[in-house]
Amino acid sequence: MRPEERDAAVGRVRDQFPVGMRVLAVDDDPVCLKVLENLLRRCQYHVTTTNQAVVALSMLRQNRDLFDLVISDVHMPDMDGFKLLELVGLEMDLPVIMLSVNGETKTVMKGITHGACDYLLKPVRLEELRNIWQHVVRRKFSNCDRANNDGYEECNRPSNADFDLAHSQITAGPPDQSGRPSKKRKEYHSEEEDEGEESNGQDNDDPSAPKKPRVVWSVELHRKFVAAVNQLGIDKAVPKRILELMNVERLTRENVASHLQKYRLYLKRLSAVASQQASIVAALGGNDPFMRMSAFEGLHGYQSFVSSAALPSFSPQGLLNRNNPASFAIQGVSASRPIQIATGNTTMSHSIGDPNDKYHLSLPGTSCLQGNLAQGLPTPVGQVQLPQKWIHEETDDLSTILSASGRANSGVPGTLQSVTNSHLLQQGFVERRQDKVVIQPSSSASSDRPEGTVGVSSSLMDSCATQQRVVPLSAFSSSASPMNGSFCSNGVAELGATSSGGTSIFPSNDLRIERDSKVGASSFGSVILLSPDTVPNQKYLNFGGGSDLRSNMEGGNAGNLLNPKLLWSCLPASQPPNLIGSHHPMSQRLNLGGSMVRQTTASASAAAPQTRIDMFISGDAPKSASDLSFPKVHSELSSSSCSFDGLLNSIIKVEKDDASFSDDLGCDLYSLGACI
Amino acid sequence: MAAAALREQLNALLSSMFASGLVDEQFQQLQMLQEDGGTPGFVAEVVTLFCDDADRIISELAALLDQPIVDFDKVDAYVHQLKGSSASVGAQKVKFTCMQFRQLCQDKNRDGCIMALAVVRNEFYDLRNKFQTMLQLEQQIQAQQ
Repeated sequence: MRPEERDAAVGRVRDQFPVGMRVLAVDDDPVCLKVLENLLRRCQYHVTTTNQAVVALSMLRQNRDLFDLVISDVHMPDMDGFKLLELVGLEMDLPVIMLSVNGETKTVMKGITHGACDYLLKPVRLEELRNIWQHVVRRKFSNCDRANNDGYEECNRPSNADFDLAHSQITAGPPDQSGRPSKKRKEYHSEEEDEGEESNGQDNDDPSAPKKPRVVWSVELHRKFVAAVNQLGIDKAVPKRILELMNVERLTRENVASHLQKYRLYLKRLSAVASQQASIVAALGGNDPFMRMSAFEGLHGYQSFVSSAALPSFSPQGLLNRNNPASFAIQGVSASRPIQIATGNTTMSHSIGDPNDKYHLSLPGTSCLQGNLAQGLPTPVGQVQLPQKWIHEETDDLSTILSASGRANSGVPGTLQSVTNSHLLQQGFVERRQDKVVIQPSSSASSDRPEGTVGVSSSLMDSCATQQRVVPLSAFSSSASPMNGSFCSNGVAELGATSSGGTSIFPSNDLRIERDSKVGASSFGSVILLSPDTVPNQKYLNFGGGSDLRSNMEGGNAGNLLNPKLLWSCLPASQPPNLIGSHHPMSQRLNLGGSMVRQTTASASAAAPQTRIDMFISGDAPKSASDLSFPKVHSELSSSSCSFDGLLNSIIKVEKDDASFSDDLGCDLYSLGACI
Repeated sequence: MAAAALREQLNALLSSMFASGLVDEQFQQLQMLQEDGGTPGFVAEVVTLFCDDADRIISELAALLDQPIVDFDKVDAYVHQLKGSSASVGAQKVKFTCMQFRQLCQDKNRDGCIMALAVVRNEFYDLRNKFQTMLQLEQQIQAQQ
C-alpha cells in the first residue's frame, strides 16, 4: 500500500480509529518483516519497520509519541526481544506484542510475564492483526488507573503516619486536585474521542487533558534509578529517596514514583512466572496463596441493629490480610443517621470508641489488628458530626457466611465496632488501621433529596514481625451501609428477608499496597452521591467492595497494584414498593482508588462532588441481599475482568425493570459488562 | 508464448505447489494480499527475500556444522530463523523440516543435524526452483501485457 504521510494518517485517525494506528514492527528476519509490514498496512495501520531492536529502541526513545504499539520478534541477534520488551515497558508505556514462530508455553509465558500484551505466532494472520488495536485502548485505560494510583499513594502515606496531617490535606485540598476527578469523568464521556486521540498521540490539543511532559527513561537514567533502588533496597525504596539518590534535574517525584511502580511490577512479573499457572488454578480452586481472598467489608448505617444477614455470603477462601478501608467520609447523611461500617466479619466485635476521635481497634484475640479510626466526623464545610452513629467494622473471612454470624450490636451512639477475622490473627499480622469517618450533610441534602457522599479510604499499616511474602488479600467487599438513620427498628435480618430492590455495581479501582519492608498500606476511597428524588427514609445503601489482587503480592516488592472490585449494591430494603416503583435515579459517585486527599476534597464540595467514578443508577432491581453470594460475584467479576480499569472512569447506568426480580447479580453484571 | 498460456502454466505450477504441500495457505494469503491490497510485486519481493535469506542461512548452517565443535545454540538460532521465514512465506515443507532440525539440534545430535540440513537444503532447492519458475512466468506475463 502506499506509504502515507503521518499527518495524513493522523488526520484520518481521529475519525476512524484504529485506522492509522501507528505501529512499530521489529523483526530481524527480512521475510517476516516484509510480510508483517504488508499485513499491517492491509489493516490500514501506519507502519514503521526496522530489522534491529536497537534501532527500534532508539526510535522509541527519540519520540515515543510517534507510536501507539510495538510488535517485536522474540529472537533477534542484536537484542533479545524480551529485553526490548522489558525496556519498552520500563521506559515508555507502550503496548508490545511479541511475535515468534516458537509457540511453546514456556516462551509465551515468558513474553507475557515480561509485559507483552499479546503473543502472536508466526505466521501472523491478518485476522489477528486486525484486532491488535484493542491493546492500545486497553493500555489507555490502565494508564488512567495508574495515574490515579500515583496520586493515591502519595496522599495515602501521610495519612498512615499522621492522621491529622492527612486530615488537613483532606479538608484543605488544593482546588486543582479536586478538579482532577472531573477531568477523568470527562475523559470517560468522550471516550470515543480519546481513543482517536490516543491513537495519534495528539491529545495535547485537548485543553481538558493537558499532557505533562514525559520523562524519557533512557538507559542511563534507568541505570541510575536501579542503582538507587538497589541501594535503598527494593522494599524500602520510596520515590523521594530515589529521587535524592539519583540527583537528576527535571525529574520529579511523580516521575520516579511512576517508574518505580512499573519497575516493581516488572520485577513482580518476573518472579511470578512460575506461580502464574498456580494462580490461575487457585483462582478456580481456591488454594493459591496469591489469589487468596478475602475480606469483605461493609458499611452499615442504621440506628438500632446490624445483623449480618445483610451481608453476602462469601466463599471460605481467603483472608483479608491487609486491606481495609481506613477512612470513610460520608457526606449528606443526616446527622442522626447511624452509619455502620463493617469490614469483614467474624465473631469478634469491638467497640472502638468515640466516633469523634481516634478509634483504636484492638482485637482481643490476638490484638493484631488495631483499627485507628482517626477523626470520626470532621467535615470540611458544614460539618455535622453524627451524634448518633455507629461505626461497625468487620473484617470478614470469606469462609464465613456473613448472614450466619449475626452481630447484634447494641446500638450505642458513637460506637465504632470492629470485627476482625481470626484468620488474620492467625497469620500473625499486626495490622494497624487508621480509619477516618467523615460524615457531613451535603449542601443540597434535603429531606427529599439527600445526597450522600461517602468517601472511603483505608490505610493499613501492616507492621508484623513475620510478614508473609504473599499478600493473601485478593478481595474484599464492603457491604451494606444504610444511609438513613430512620431505619431504626429494622434489623439486618430484614435486609436479607425482604427481597428489596438492589443494584450492584462493580467499579474497579486500583489499590496499591505499598509495602515498605514491613509496612503495608492500602486505601481506597469512594464517594457516593445519593440523589433519589424521593428517598424513602427506610433505605439502605448497601455497598460492598470486593477487591481482587490482580497482582500477586510478593514480599520483595514494595508496591503492588491491586484491582479491587467493589461491589456496590443499593438495597432499598424495607420499602420495596416505594423504591422499586419509583424510578428516581440514584446516582452514586464512587471515587475509588484515588488519592484520599483528592477524594475528600471533592467530597468537601458537596454540591459538585468530583469523582473519578460515576455511577448513575436509575431504577433498582429488586434483590435480596442474601442473594449476593460472594463467590459467585467474584467469579463473574473475574471472568469479566477485562477492564476493571475501564470501570474506573466509567459511568454505569443500570436500568432495571421493576418487574424483574432477578435473584442474583447476573443482570447487574451484565449491565456492567455492557458498560465495560 | 501467449499470455493466456503462460498464465495457465503459472496456475498449474501454483496448483502443484499447493497440492504437493510445498506451500500452504500462508502463501495463499500473501497472494491475496498482493491482489487485494494493490501491491503488485509483493509476492515476488517476499519470495526473493526468502530465497536469499534461506540460502544464506543454509550456508551458515553448513559452516557451523562443519566445525569440530558444533555450537548448537547458534545452529538452533539459525534454524529458528529459517523456520520463521519459511513460515512467513508459507514454505510448508521447509518449515516442517526445520522443526525436525531443531529437535535434533536440541538433542545435540550432530550427525542428525547434518542429515537434517541436507533435507532442508533439498526441500529449499526444490522450492526455490519452483519459485524461480513462478517468478519467471510472472515476468513473462507482465512483459506481454
